[in-house]
Amino acid sequence: MLTNYLKLAYKVLLRRKFFTFVSLFGTSVTLLVLMIASAMLDHTFAPLPPEVRLDRTLHVTYMAMRGEGNEWSGSPGYGFLDRYCRGIPHVERMSVFTGAHGASSFVGGEKVVSQLRHTDAEYWSILDFDFVAGQAYGESEVADGSHVAVISEAAARNLFGDRAAVGQSFETRGQTFRVIGVVRNVPRMRETAFADIWVPVTTLPSDVWKTGLMGDFNAMLLADSPRNFRAIRAEFAARLPHVVMTEPDRYKTMSGSPRTRLEDIAADAIGTKDDMPQTGLFIGVLVLLALLFMLLPAINLVNMNISRIFERVPEIGVRKAFGASTGHLVGQFIVENIVLAVLGGAIGFLLSLWALQLINGSGLITNADFQVNPRIFLYGLGLSVFFGVLSGAYPAWRMARLDPVEALRGGHR
Amino acid sequence: MSTLSPAAHTAVADPPRPNGHAAIRLTGVEKIHRTDRIETVALNQIHLAVEAREFLSVMGPSGSGKSTLLNVIGLLDRPSKGTVEIGGQSVGALSDRELAAKRNLDIGFVFQTFHLIQDLNVLDNVEIPLLYRQLPSGKRRVMAQEALERVGLSARTAHFPSQLSGGQRQRVAIARAIVGRPSILLADEPTGNLDSQMGDEIIAILEELNRDGTTVVMVTHDQRLASRTARIVRLFDGRQVE
Repeated sequence: MLTNYLKLAYKVLLRRKFFTFVSLFGTSVTLLVLMIASAMLDHTFAPLPPEVRLDRTLHVTYMAMRGEGNEWSGSPGYGFLDRYCRGIPHVERMSVFTGAHGASSFVGGEKVVSQLRHTDAEYWSILDFDFVAGQAYGESEVADGSHVAVISEAAARNLFGDRAAVGQSFETRGQTFRVIGVVRNVPRMRETAFADIWVPVTTLPSDVWKTGLMGDFNAMLLADSPRNFRAIRAEFAARLPHVVMTEPDRYKTMSGSPRTRLEDIAADAIGTKDDMPQTGLFIGVLVLLALLFMLLPAINLVNMNISRIFERVPEIGVRKAFGASTGHLVGQFIVENIVLAVLGGAIGFLLSLWALQLINGSGLITNADFQVNPRIFLYGLGLSVFFGVLSGAYPAWRMARLDPVEALRGGHR
Repeated sequence: MSTLSPAAHTAVADPPRPNGHAAIRLTGVEKIHRTDRIETVALNQIHLAVEAREFLSVMGPSGSGKSTLLNVIGLLDRPSKGTVEIGGQSVGALSDRELAAKRNLDIGFVFQTFHLIQDLNVLDNVEIPLLYRQLPSGKRRVMAQEALERVGLSARTAHFPSQLSGGQRQRVAIARAIVGRPSILLADEPTGNLDSQMGDEIIAILEELNRDGTTVVMVTHDQRLASRTARIVRLFDGRQVE
């Protein structure tokens, strides 16, 4: 019987080409967008290399100083991070580093712009970079302010062409660095890892950066377990009242809290309330958007299924006359809808592969390496099948309960 | 032809018989179609017994209740009043699912407009009644082939209805009606959409099926074809008049 249903499903899909196209288009494009969105979210939030410990890392990226009529908010300074954030219980390792900023070099008279980040030595032990040559700098190079650099494969190619980069020197921001390591390219969406060039923080000119409470620094706090995030935050908060303000006449207090990557993005996207990111609201908005996005094609699918099944009332009459029960007919239409949903899913999967490859290769997002997330794909496909079954079952059930005489009168062949 | 007695050939309206082994027995059957504003009596006090292996014609003008009678006999429609027995079993208390099963096993339908499913080929169309019997596909195929051989269409199994003439479509419809080997065949104006030569061919097939033991009830407007059957029941305004 299933073969017969499948055969009929195939024929019906071919016969109603426009309906089939719209159904498949709706399902596959919905899945495509879900796949791209989930690949981007995965790329941002999942513990992927080099940020393999992202699930137990807190970031200090935002602080605020307030006084009477004065407020300074943004990235904290090295002075604050170094003096007040070290030695927090349950923090295994801590790294302080700057954001990645453009830095120019000249190669054969051509300007090459790279993203440069200053880091300490712990940076390399928290993040897990894939070294293709050489190694990272350590405590001694940072302590000495050695002008050494780790560069990405892309930077190596830009700066040195096909020559081996390790051992070569290059100049940027008026300083000369010797390459001691080359790593695989890091996608831009790996927020704390991304750069083209990494150099010791101690190579920053002058010593002003060492004392500022606010500045251009971030910190990673690697917890022994995500369960201890709360304790780490509590200790962090307990230390804030003891911060000695450098401009006490202008700023009296300092506030802020270590955040997960999700909290960081939520704060960037929808802001903070009392300096705390509104993560719940952010997730709620994302889920609502996803549901709304899926609801529209689902309603469309239900509508089309109803009209498609109404068209086949005489067939229902014939089948009832020859002994089909309501269950048989509902089963038949459900099989047809499952075929449609699975086909749409398969097309959506192929489209996703193609689109992600296109995005990866386009250079739109630097070093992007988006992959299809099989779990999200299965959820999406499951939802398509669910809506397919739902949208087929109800009209089929109604039609199957039609009086057979009425159904036979529904049209003539 | 039929093995019926001469008396059976001339019977018009059968009185209710409490005992007997009729293939079809209708006792005091009425069918009233009700809407919000009007009531239409489609069948009024029909008493009819059709013996096994009988070939019966039902005639009457349009709107006289012929098709309604066939629908009631075929368990597609429930009477408003009266009882219907098929093969000695009263069907009034059967659920929709049980009625569907009884239609599947005991009754075959041939419609004036064929009612073939355009998306299925001839063999798949003929197989439809067998789908609801949980038979293995190999057996279904064999039975469908045999049914098509009986109507002379075994060479057209892969054709689709749109590729066939009217007569061929009706033969496919007959093959579909007999594939499950039902004891009763109900034909609603089976020649209504065919020319006289095609019509004769279809009637010849029905006669042969009847000779082989199938009880046939045929609704027709055509006196010439009706006269070839063993008995004619005439309806007028939902009543048996002959």
